[in-house]
Amino acid sequence: MRLPDFVRTTTFRWTSVAIALSILVFSAFVYWEAGSSMQADMDGSIAEAVVSIAATVPERRIVTIEDRLAADPRRIRLAGLFGADGRRIAGNLREIPPELAIDGRVQATQAVRMDAQAAESMSVRAIGRRLPDGQVLVIARHSGELQELAAAIGRALLLGLPMAGCLSLAIGGLLSFRVQRRVDELHTQVRRIVDAGLRERLPTANLDHPFDKLAIVANGMLDEIEVLVTEMAETGNEIAHDLRTPLTRVRVGLERGRVNAATVADLQSVADRAIAGVDEVLAIITSLLRIREIEHYGDRRGFCDVALAGLMREACDLYAPIAEDKQVSLCADLDDEVIVRCDRDLLQEAVINLVDNAVKFTPAHGEVRLVLTREAGNVVIRISDTGPGIRADDREAVLRRFYRSDKSRQSAGVGLGLNLVAAIVKLHGFRLALSTGPNCVAEIICPMSEA
Amino acid sequence: MAKILLIEDDSETADEVAAELMQRGFEVELAANGIEGLDKARSGKPDMMVVDRMLPGIDGLTIVEALRGEQVRTPVLILSALGAVDDRVRGLRMGGDDYLTKPFAIIELVARIEALLRRPIETRETQLRVGPLELDLIERTARRGERQIDLLPREFRLLEYMMQRNDQLLTRAMLLEEVWNYKFVPATNLVDVHMGRLRHKVDGPEDPPMIHNVRGAGFILRAPS
Repeated sequence: MRLPDFVRTTTFRWTSVAIALSILVFSAFVYWEAGSSMQADMDGSIAEAVVSIAATVPERRIVTIEDRLAADPRRIRLAGLFGADGRRIAGNLREIPPELAIDGRVQATQAVRMDAQAAESMSVRAIGRRLPDGQVLVIARHSGELQELAAAIGRALLLGLPMAGCLSLAIGGLLSFRVQRRVDELHTQVRRIVDAGLRERLPTANLDHPFDKLAIVANGMLDEIEVLVTEMAETGNEIAHDLRTPLTRVRVGLERGRVNAATVADLQSVADRAIAGVDEVLAIITSLLRIREIEHYGDRRGFCDVALAGLMREACDLYAPIAEDKQVSLCADLDDEVIVRCDRDLLQEAVINLVDNAVKFTPAHGEVRLVLTREAGNVVIRISDTGPGIRADDREAVLRRFYRSDKSRQSAGVGLGLNLVAAIVKLHGFRLALSTGPNCVAEIICPMSEA
Repeated sequence: MAKILLIEDDSETADEVAAELMQRGFEVELAANGIEGLDKARSGKPDMMVVDRMLPGIDGLTIVEALRGEQVRTPVLILSALGAVDDRVRGLRMGGDDYLTKPFAIIELVARIEALLRRPIETRETQLRVGPLELDLIERTARRGERQIDLLPREFRLLEYMMQRNDQLLTRAMLLEEVWNYKFVPATNLVDVHMGRLRHKVDGPEDPPMIHNVRGAGFILRAPS
């Protein structure tokens, strides 16, 4: 049989168990409290009787005991006066209870009461006391009252438990039903949001309810996701546009070449142009994949301590002939002591990209300078040039997480290059700073926690 | 004639590559999946293998690993559509000898195949000689005939690499990887500029040229005929 949903919820089970348990504990507490108060009363009254009888003159004792026993309609009082040898003198006790210590203190024990008809053994609270003349006085009280109390509470419990059970089921059911209803609502709402393409949000009523807090958190997450999805869509469009441009050129070129080429040489030059166009497309795709790969690189297994001066000197060495050809002076001011924990290949790629840009955009007689230094607890890799620099309104675009900005890419791939650098720098937990305006300064700032 | 085993599941690529290789005088055997490829690698005794990274049946890397486990030392070039740095490192660690990312220029593939087939023998020679060109690895000097050539350290490194592989087409990517240890190709024509400098020093105005530029492909060092 399949139980209704709310019965199977944890809320329901725990509420029911908790209510049932608390009823049991409460009953036990009532029994214990009432019992001990009753017993204290009982003990008080027999102690009082012992004291008063012991205080009477020996001739009056028997009368006093008989008076006491006579004034006992419930037949719960027991008393006995025994001679020094244990012989019974008066009272309704057959003998001195064998387990009773004659020390004047209240004890629980067994005693035998006798009257005209019969003798009956019963459990009692009793005091035994030796009087000054050697007689032994025993005063006791039937403790059946305590058992009656337990029985009464037990009966009440027996009657009450099913009711309590029903109550706990009802409360548990109600609570979990309400939770279940909210969850169902949430479920429907989430469905609706998914169907509506993430444009709707979860309703929130009052701010204190846990479900409302949950809804607020979920809405925040939805906002973030919507931004990402939109950005992805835009990025997709931009990439498609950027790929379509060279592909269109290739297609038109091939089409025209196929019709118009008169010689093999003509056809070859058409093919060469087509290959160059396709290579351009491939270069864009490769850079995009590479950026994504670096962004998802994640772990730092490949990290080791790298002396950056060597790495930067190699970059200088690689670019020296090109700079010379362009009449750009390439100089380096490198601190040989600096060691940074990084992925050597990736950092090399970042530095090369920055140097490549710097050399590319610096006009003749300009200067590109590589500096490696320590400043205020950071290692700074600084690559500055005397080129036109990055315009202030382009800077954000060049560094944006995704592939962006047509403007920045019109100058031969600079956009993606800097994106790549940004991705590498971010992977390392370093910071990339770019100046705006002429004389561009690019800095990779590596915070040195230790060393 | 060298025999090449090409394990590639895309039949169009496989056919194109095979046609090009045969045109260049290689004998080519094709396998369309990993299991067939492994069988042919064991039975056909190829001189070298070109293995696609992603194959139906058995993965390309697994094939290489299995063969290396059987002490088969045939040179292997791994082709991959995955550009990951990690993937390249894994491919080489599993026993691949070279790694090429798809899409590739066919000339790049041919150059790398030839380079693997003609890997320079480890020698204790301290003198390299190609035609009139001599390189002393101890003295760090170079001469062509009687003429002393002054080389910067980076130029010396480049010439040494080329002299160990004379008569072979060396692509820009190969040179960047091997001489400069860069695993990526910067947009700028870096290699051309370095090569221009070196050629200017090696091939004097009266000398017959030794460093040849193969258009759209790379460079060859060849003794003058």
